Amino acid sequence: MKYRNEQLRDALASEYALGTLQGRARRRFERSLKDDPQLRALVNRWQDRLAPLDSMGQPVRPRARVWHRIQEQIQSGHRRGLWSSLPFWRAVGLAGLAGALTLAVLLATLSPMRRGSETMVVVMADAKANPAMTVSWPMQHRGQPRLRIRVMGHPEMASGTAWELWLLPGDEHKPVSLGLIGTEPMQEVNVPRSLAPMLGHTCGLAMSVEPSGGSPTGQPTGPVLYKGQCTPL
Amino acid sequence: MADNDAIAELMARCALRDQRAFAELYHRTSAKLYGVAIRILRREDWAEEVLQESFVNIWSHIAEYSATRSAPMTWMTAIVRNRALDWLRRPNLERGDEDYDLLVESLPDQGPGPDVILGQSRGAAALAECLRQLSGDQRQTIMLAYMHGLSHGELAQHLKQPLGTVKTWIRRGLERLKGCMDGRS
Repeated sequence: MKYRNEQLRDALASEYALGTLQGRARRRFERSLKDDPQLRALVNRWQDRLAPLDSMGQPVRPRARVWHRIQEQIQSGHRRGLWSSLPFWRAVGLAGLAGALTLAVLLATLSPMRRGSETMVVVMADAKANPAMTVSWPMQHRGQPRLRIRVMGHPEMASGTAWELWLLPGDEHKPVSLGLIGTEPMQEVNVPRSLAPMLGHTCGLAMSVEPSGGSPTGQPTGPVLYKGQCTPL
Repeated sequence: MADNDAIAELMARCALRDQRAFAELYHRTSAKLYGVAIRILRREDWAEEVLQESFVNIWSHIAEYSATRSAPMTWMTAIVRNRALDWLRRPNLERGDEDYDLLVESLPDQGPGPDVILGQSRGAAALAECLRQLSGDQRQTIMLAYMHGLSHGELAQHLKQPLGTVKTWIRRGLERLKGCMDGRS
């Protein structure tokens, strides 16, 4: 259902934010919100307008058991791994569930799930937030970390250029080169053991286009095509 | 505002699955959000359930937050409010009793004005000023609806007014509120 009239759209957004849009009308409105970013923007505006009212009420401290239950649920979600992180795939820009499932299945084949052996996964997305590459490696691994890289689609590398993979350790550290990669669908990169401590929760990865042979400066010099955040699964 | 920045930073760390940041986020925001839930639901067990679901939801959707461009508290409050309103929408639900203290009951006529209660931020000042320009009926229905999640029907019953009248107060009130607030920004 499309709400065409601008005034009606804003009126509905306002009553949705206020809470008086209820029952079937509310459900229908929520369905429209899903694929109507402008309608979502109207709702956001109204939420912002009314938000100061939130500080009018008294805060009430919930009982400790609420936090315990939340923690339990989140941790069991973590053990379930893939499914709990589906929203993440959507967040990196997958258009629909079908895409998310493909990616999840892809990742499942990449990372055999064992208890206590988490896998770090980076979904690297292009500028339009479409996933273009995944990189994964086992965590809590004592030896030399080996990254498994999966390139999606059939990207082309311009001649005379190279793709260089960068570790973004987070905080104020500069990017660290992880070496050159190709366009083949399945690749592996060995990471020097000295870099292993940087492959933790706060890291990210980026892939830049460099002159063939790699960056002359030791830092990214060309455009970054893909990047993503490390996520433990 | 500094608080909002700190919360935004915690949320960014949560997006990287930092559970300690999540614990800190809960510690800082749960009392406010539980207050929102309990004012709407008026039953502790329901409010606890809604708070729990909301935080699990916040944890799993936190990576989507940056796309909304709302203040972090506004985003989290919207999740709690929506959960609470969904909860009320379940069929055959009897909500709490009449003697519950309706916080904003006396606001139209007496007591400190909304501006005193709302505090100092710019958005709050604009909202307070614009609420003051509404008629008492418009202001009261809007605040009852927002704070306590009352439906049109419940508002009509509570204020002993015909349904159509209450709907008109709300619609006109919101229109005026928007005109006034947009004019000030």
